[in-house]
Amino acid sequence: MVKITALQKRYGQGAVILDDINLEFEKGEFVSLIGPSGCGKSTLLKLIASLSPVTSGSLVVDGMTPENAREEMAFIFQEPTLLPWRTVTRNIELPLEVLHTKWDKREEICARTRKLVGLDHVPDHYPRQLSGGMKMRVSIARALSLSPKILLLDEPFGALDEMTRDRLNEQLLAIREQQKFTAFFVTHSVAEAVFLSSRIIVLAANPGRVYQDIRVPFAYPRSAETRESPEYQRCVAEVTKVLRAVNPDHP
Amino acid sequence: MNFLKHNLRWYLPVLTGALILFLWILVKELFGIRNFILPSPLKIAQAAIAERHVLFQSAMITLSGASLGFVTAAIAGILGSMVMALSGNLRLSLYPYILILQMTPMAIFAPVLVIWLGPGLPAVTVITFLICFFPIVANTTQGLISVDKNMVDLFRMINADRGQEVRLLRLPHALPYFLTGLRIAGSIAMIGGITGDLFAGNASGGVGGLGFMVLVYNAQLKIPALWAAGFTACLCGFLFVSVVIALNWFLLHKWHDSIAKSDV
Repeated sequence: MVKITALQKRYGQGAVILDDINLEFEKGEFVSLIGPSGCGKSTLLKLIASLSPVTSGSLVVDGMTPENAREEMAFIFQEPTLLPWRTVTRNIELPLEVLHTKWDKREEICARTRKLVGLDHVPDHYPRQLSGGMKMRVSIARALSLSPKILLLDEPFGALDEMTRDRLNEQLLAIREQQKFTAFFVTHSVAEAVFLSSRIIVLAANPGRVYQDIRVPFAYPRSAETRESPEYQRCVAEVTKVLRAVNPDHP
Repeated sequence: MNFLKHNLRWYLPVLTGALILFLWILVKELFGIRNFILPSPLKIAQAAIAERHVLFQSAMITLSGASLGFVTAAIAGILGSMVMALSGNLRLSLYPYILILQMTPMAIFAPVLVIWLGPGLPAVTVITFLICFFPIVANTTQGLISVDKNMVDLFRMINADRGQEVRLLRLPHALPYFLTGLRIAGSIAMIGGITGDLFAGNASGGVGGLGFMVLVYNAQLKIPALWAAGFTACLCGFLFVSVVIALNWFLLHKWHDSIAKSDV
């Protein structure tokens, strides 16, 4: 699905952000990118999204350049990035409006994705009337409205409290059971990464490079109970250890 | 008690007004100040009633100059800001000259405008325009270019073209900024109108704009009428600002925090 070969990234003549990245991802994988700040995990996500150009090496998305594959991808930002002058429904249908999708089709997709994220009861609310968690759900619904093959998430739940974050993680996996997208998820939280992912890429900083490629051993579907299982907790401990090794300044 | 609490925003300003009137009369009577220096509020009210036809007509003249200038400044402000938002280099090249327009006192522009356009409505309109244009164009430009980077990236991700980005993202985002500019312009539009009257007004049919009437009443030593003209201008200014505030509320109350949080 995504193949990265000898990739290097630097901004202008500045320091090398990512160096010699070689990775290959299959369709349907849920990949978390984790590592100390400055390791370039968000940059890697932006490169896949073609929001930033590759300096050298190659990056192929579904057999295409990232730019040409953009229609197959959706990006969920750290902030909900909702348009405050639009209602929940109008925010969700924004990508469809840009594509000139027919009105009745728009309506139908909107209703479906709204239900999917559990926002059926607030179709005409404005963003300022919603909690942080609800805003994020609108953002997810908007991304899903185009039924993307690849979902790119840049620390989407970082600003939320732990309860809301856990709940949204569970919801995200439940949605994935239905929509079957491939996901790339940037996070700081080991627990979140282990809970969500089938694979965790640990990056090292200065310059950003792949430190370890970890397969998460237990299967989907996962639920809140998964967090109590010994194998989950063992995996969290293991990844935490790796992350400490890569980031010795901050034990 | 509840009634008093809930209507604070109405009766507090009225109370202040009553207090000012009381102090006004007190000072005037206590020190025996003569009418041509400080007329009593009653005298001014009488003059306003006596001169009501003239004041109404001249208010209309000033208001038409002020609103024409204000509306054209709003339209030109939107168009101008869209041009300015196109590129940073364009802003760098244009901004100093827009500032110069704003910095040059109207007293200097006005005689030139009268030479070019002759006294009357066109000259008054242009003077108001020149005063109102800057706050609108400066604020709206700020709104157009201060869109969050992630929002722009979002529009790139959904393959929006440049026109869609402007129409669906930049213009709505700039709306509160535009309205702020409009509010500032609204509060000074009457100043533009009156300045225009003073320098470029004409009195076809015996009545000119309010600024013109101020000159006439002064020459005739009708001091209470002069004050009445001042208060009429004040009233017109209020009218302007309330229209803008109403527009502001109408366009923003559903989604913008400023309406929910501020008390004016």
